[in-house]
Amino acid sequence: MLRTQTLPSYSDAVADGTSEADGAGGFTAALAGNNFRWMAAPALLFAGAMIVFPFGYAVWLALSEVQLGSVPRFIGIGNFRRMLADVEFWNGLYLTLLLYVVSLSLQLVIGTWLGLLLARFQTARGLVRTVMVSPFMLPPVVVGMMAIVILDPSFGIANWLLAKLGLPPALWLSNPDTVMLTIAALDTWQWTPFVALIVMGGYLSLPHDVFESAEMDGAHGWTRFRYVTLPLLGPTLITAAVLRSVDILRFFDIIYLTTQGGPGFSSTTLNILAYRRAFEFFELGYASAIMVTLSAIVFGSVLVFARLRRAVAW
Amino acid sequence: MRKFGLFGSVLFAAALAVAGPAAAQGFNWRSQDGQTINLMFNNHPWSQAMRDMVADFTAKTGVKARIEIFNEEQFRARLTTLMQGGSADMDVYMSLTSREGAVFHRAGWYADLAPLMADKSLTMPDFNYEDFGASIRQASTFGKQIVALPINQEGPLFYWRKDIFERCKIAEPAALEDIPAAAAAIKACDANQGAWAARGIRGVTPYAMAAFIYNSGGSFATPDGKPGLSQPNSVRGLEMYSSLLKDYGPPGALNHTFTQVIELLGQGRVAMTHESSNEFANIVRFPNRAGDLGVKVLPPGRETRISKPVAIGWTVAISAHSKRQPAAWLFLQWATSREVQAKLVQAGVAPPRASVFEGEEFNAWAKELPIRRAWANALIEIGRTGTGVYQSPTDRIPEARDLIGGAMQAIVQGRATPAEAARAADADLAKLQ
Repeated sequence: MLRTQTLPSYSDAVADGTSEADGAGGFTAALAGNNFRWMAAPALLFAGAMIVFPFGYAVWLALSEVQLGSVPRFIGIGNFRRMLADVEFWNGLYLTLLLYVVSLSLQLVIGTWLGLLLARFQTARGLVRTVMVSPFMLPPVVVGMMAIVILDPSFGIANWLLAKLGLPPALWLSNPDTVMLTIAALDTWQWTPFVALIVMGGYLSLPHDVFESAEMDGAHGWTRFRYVTLPLLGPTLITAAVLRSVDILRFFDIIYLTTQGGPGFSSTTLNILAYRRAFEFFELGYASAIMVTLSAIVFGSVLVFARLRRAVAW
Repeated sequence: MRKFGLFGSVLFAAALAVAGPAAAQGFNWRSQDGQTINLMFNNHPWSQAMRDMVADFTAKTGVKARIEIFNEEQFRARLTTLMQGGSADMDVYMSLTSREGAVFHRAGWYADLAPLMADKSLTMPDFNYEDFGASIRQASTFGKQIVALPINQEGPLFYWRKDIFERCKIAEPAALEDIPAAAAAIKACDANQGAWAARGIRGVTPYAMAAFIYNSGGSFATPDGKPGLSQPNSVRGLEMYSSLLKDYGPPGALNHTFTQVIELLGQGRVAMTHESSNEFANIVRFPNRAGDLGVKVLPPGRETRISKPVAIGWTVAISAHSKRQPAAWLFLQWATSREVQAKLVQAGVAPPRASVFEGEEFNAWAKELPIRRAWANALIEIGRTGTGVYQSPTDRIPEARDLIGGAMQAIVQGRATPAEAARAADADLAKLQ
């Protein structure tokens, strides 16, 4: 149906040793061959220095007992064994995944709705987009401080507004039962506009003739969204999901600023737990084991979405 | 006479000949002229004042000092990273030796100040280390090694609104047990007036809670050195602190630390608190608080008559990895000198030097307002009777304090009775020994 569907991707072409410019030979052919591979060496070295070494060091620490001021002592999987028996780890894992599922779902659903709405919104489009960008331009520290001031049960404006509406006050970040939902709401407030902008960009780049054909075939409203818009937006949504997944799973600053993992352990996600173990209790080996596990979860989620992306590609 | 004069001249010349080389080796503030040192501080009234005054140090010594100030969490994270990495970039850092001293000492992160102090060419003649309070010196001494110099002394104090007490016809609490009674009376007198606020975050709570346990006759350790939170008198103190927070504290108190507590007291939303002496300057900046607040050491138990407040002090240390230790030592001497401490009082920093506390400048400052005098008296008392121990015996102090604060949270949240929470905490604390 679409021309782009039949075109091989650039990476496929490179892998096959072919390209659209093959007939002309020259640079592209050389690039596809082995002649210029050495040019990638600086980039690979840089990536190695910036990614592989720190991660490798974290893995080494995770496999070691680290006494402050001394050389780490290799203990194999001792820290991981301890982790599996640690109720704080399982609590942290549950909270991390809860935050991930709730935040990501809210951001994708609301972001898609908002993005499609914005794509059709013609009046003062520039101004609206600027306003949309502002929440995720704010540094997390500012968002955290705003949350502390607004949501404080004693002197925050949120409860004042509830009182004006005749509603009972809420404990927001201070109630163990609602703290994670409040944090998810904060993250959703800050990052839904980001998803919306991605969706809007993706939607505006879609071919219009498809929608015209759908209209002519009698697809309107929800039907058109369900069977035309959503499938076409699939790759865009997966891209947004990947970007947000990495961010949500390593979400730290706002939680630490607002609750420090409390009340009790009710917002002690894996990130908070690892931070406290490393910098408050000086258990660098155990904290590294937690972080390596979290990294594996992040990597796993990206792999899942990469497979999904292939499934929804058109 | 002429004979004596000749003899005197000879003696003077001899004395000069002997003293000449000695004077050349004597202490000189400009001995490290041209050096640059890096200092890393926790956000604190002392470090804020240092930032404003450090130009005086450079003018006096010729040593440039670059100061970085971080909030406590970032400060600790950065400090741990730099020191574990063996970085020589940082020369001087703040340290709460009563908390992390044992761990940092074992890690070899502190430069030993004792040899520097003993070196007359590096130490100013009127330095007088004994001028610092004995308990504060003790917290920074491990064996024969002196790891840091005290920069302040602090401890939690009982602050109460005298005007509210007068309006509600409530007597000033004279015993620990009067505080819950006063809170109840305030609520009965004015339902819209908050009665009590205190720390609720796990790790920072024992600082404010310890005196409740001590004054109730309890302790964090049994006589044979085991965790003692579940001893009957300890449970009584734990229960009183938890109940005050649960029954009379502000909503969301379990997420509160000193910043929220001070805000609540400063804004007039609560009538009582037990919070750091260090926050005095911040509290009295709020309108009316300098006139209507009272401040003193937490009252003793009615029957026990025990008054055992917490008294600690931040210190400033030289990194063991520093390559500029003599220049760093000059900074430590200047920053803890009598002259500088006398100026720091204006910023609300309680001086750890006895001579400053008893000096004219401090007394003149304290006399200006009754509340300043009361604050100074309270500090003198905690310096005399206070303790820096507020956890069961262990080297893993931050973790132990976290567990003790966790027991308080379990009670406030209704997850455990005071006895159950204390027993569970003791079982976990025993694993840290």
